[in-house]
Amino acid sequence: MTELAIDIRGISKRYADHVAVRDLNLAVPRGAVYGLLGPNGAGKTTTIRMILNIIGPDTGSIHLLGRPNTDRAILDRLGYLPEERGLYKKMAVRDVLRFLAELKGLDRRTADLRIEEWLERLSLRSAEKDWGKAKVEELSRGMQQKVQFIGTLLHDPDLVILDEPFSGLDPINAQALKDTVVELKRRGRTVIFSTHLMDNAERLCDSVCIIARGEKVLDGTVASVKAENAGRTVALALDGSATPEVMAVLQDRTLVERVDDQNRFFEVELVAGADSQTLLRRVLETGACIQRFERVQPSLHQIFLQRVGATGVEEGMSGHG
Amino acid sequence: MGKLFAVIRREYLERVRNKWFVIVTVFGPVFFAVVMILPAYLSVRGLRDAKVVDLRVVDATGTGLGARVAQRIADPRRGGNPPSGPDAETTTPRQLVRVDTVSAASLAAAESTLVLEVMANRLSGYLILDSATLGNGQARYAGRNASSVGQNEQLETAVRSAVMGMRLENAGVVAANADSITRLRVNVAAVRITDSGKSGSGVGGIIFGGVIAFMLYIAIILYGQAILRGVLEEKTTRVAEVILASVKPDILLAGKVIGVGAVGLTQFGIWIASALFFWGERTRLIGAIVGPSAATAPTGFDFPSIEPFTIVALVLFFIFGYTLYASLFAAVGAMVGTQEEANQAVQPVMMILVFSVIFVQPVMTNPTGRLAEVLSLIPFSAPIIMPLRMTATPVPALIVMASLGGVLVTALGAIWLSARIYRVGLLMYGKRPTLRELWRWVRQS
Repeated sequence: MTELAIDIRGISKRYADHVAVRDLNLAVPRGAVYGLLGPNGAGKTTTIRMILNIIGPDTGSIHLLGRPNTDRAILDRLGYLPEERGLYKKMAVRDVLRFLAELKGLDRRTADLRIEEWLERLSLRSAEKDWGKAKVEELSRGMQQKVQFIGTLLHDPDLVILDEPFSGLDPINAQALKDTVVELKRRGRTVIFSTHLMDNAERLCDSVCIIARGEKVLDGTVASVKAENAGRTVALALDGSATPEVMAVLQDRTLVERVDDQNRFFEVELVAGADSQTLLRRVLETGACIQRFERVQPSLHQIFLQRVGATGVEEGMSGHG
Repeated sequence: MGKLFAVIRREYLERVRNKWFVIVTVFGPVFFAVVMILPAYLSVRGLRDAKVVDLRVVDATGTGLGARVAQRIADPRRGGNPPSGPDAETTTPRQLVRVDTVSAASLAAAESTLVLEVMANRLSGYLILDSATLGNGQARYAGRNASSVGQNEQLETAVRSAVMGMRLENAGVVAANADSITRLRVNVAAVRITDSGKSGSGVGGIIFGGVIAFMLYIAIILYGQAILRGVLEEKTTRVAEVILASVKPDILLAGKVIGVGAVGLTQFGIWIASALFFWGERTRLIGAIVGPSAATAPTGFDFPSIEPFTIVALVLFFIFGYTLYASLFAAVGAMVGTQEEANQAVQPVMMILVFSVIFVQPVMTNPTGRLAEVLSLIPFSAPIIMPLRMTATPVPALIVMASLGGVLVTALGAIWLSARIYRVGLLMYGKRPTLRELWRWVRQS
């Protein structure tokens, strides 16, 4: 049994007027919570659709749980929550769920049992009101999202793929989603989700991959990504305003790549290969009184901005990443 | 296969459980009942009304012709001579038609009195018999309902047979014989001869063929549109994406077409069964409504006898024709994003369909003509025209099979094409594709 839940090798997808994904490699270990990060239009949804074999890549191969994803049987072990949520509006909730379960090869008896469990768990069924009997269109948006979520997990998939799962969720449902992701991981399931909300990714993910303009920018465990991108950012706080001497040091382009000047607080990014100790010595030499000098681990958000930058978001390509 | 079955079951159950399906399915038979029984009912009532009509016969011939005519008007089936025998009393014509025997001289005076009677609504009309009636069959009717064709015919028949009876008796024919001669009714039944020698009503065959063609057309429109709406719904609600992560688009498309087709067969099955039921029971039903005396009244036409081969061919034409158009409708549904766009994009498909229906009338009037021959072989019109043609007139089995084969091949082609458009279109949002883009979709997938 291979260790990889998802093994993507060199996939590309070209549409008439643009390249959605270019030569992408991805390795998601089993049991991991994996974040696919990128700005809108980066190719996230296209990648996810290719993983699910909804669309085929022009080149490259995709293996899921050790089998090529063109093997239809493998799809039964996948749970998918698309970015654009949708259910049959006129159908009763139970019927929709049973239908979705049957499409994953679940028999009716098992499906019915699990549906009741889930309805209770997400409080869609209580003593006074059973929403399972209601038509989907009678449910509030939040409840519809719950139903869709149940549909994704009803067949207890080994690999759960969530496309922008947090978009449009109220705080309570968002928390329920996070709890579920954690629980899935505890039970050894693999979860991959796309998002452009870095805070969620940073807290939930074991590993991440940042893509922009259809290409991979970086990937790895959150810890290693942070370590690789650490060491170059220094938080500097002074007692009093910066003197011209301090400013001269901070503007030395042989030492400092970029500085975020907030008067008494500076976030300094060193040029590659520069030593933070040199910076400390030079600042001390100016006679400034240092309150804080710290090599910081950048947040994913900062890494994202740093590596993708504002240019990563192409105008007019928003919508389906 | 389990997944295909799940899709079929969903399509089928969701539609059959829908209250509109129930309403339409129940009202279908009511509609058939009305269409089949109402004309019969009305014609029966019309006959009875004509009998009950309060009219006066004015006999100025002085030969007793008036009594004969009155008797024939009151009861066209019975003998014209004074009734005799044990049931004479009960079968005596009801005293509905009074006869005024007048002399030729006082005719004008009598007539003006009757005009007043009619004007006062005490009488609906009067029939004048005079020497001209005996001489050359000229009689005159005046009344409120002077334009009623049914009544006029009835009066003419009564007068003709009464005059004829008198002449025959004058020529020495025994009264009873004369009577039976004048009561001879002629009815030319047009009988159709088929290859197997079986027969049926010729007119019935054409009407039956027309009904079949019309039903196929309605079925294709109704269920084709249902498919279009279904695909569009899956697309706009984005359910399609969830489904496509579980099953191949081809399975989804096939399940849809089969499921909706099964709904169609169910609905038409119910309709045909209830139509046959009402047809079979029509005599009793009419009897129950208007009274047993009318139960034997003539109604419309007889169902032509249909050979098993024809029935099989009809069902196959429905299935293949439906599949052909259903997959085209599905492709249209996958191409567009809104119902408004769908209404536009569906036009070409509808035009092909309407094109066939335009020719139903000419083919019905001439089912053996060149037009019928050609249209019943073109795959797009064959599912409607060939069933019409083959029920109206015998068509060699080989030609029927060739036509069926053509429809089948075209249907398979349509499925192939639609599956490709469907696969790409289902996940494409935004503007409607141009023809060139469509072609790229087809090649791409």
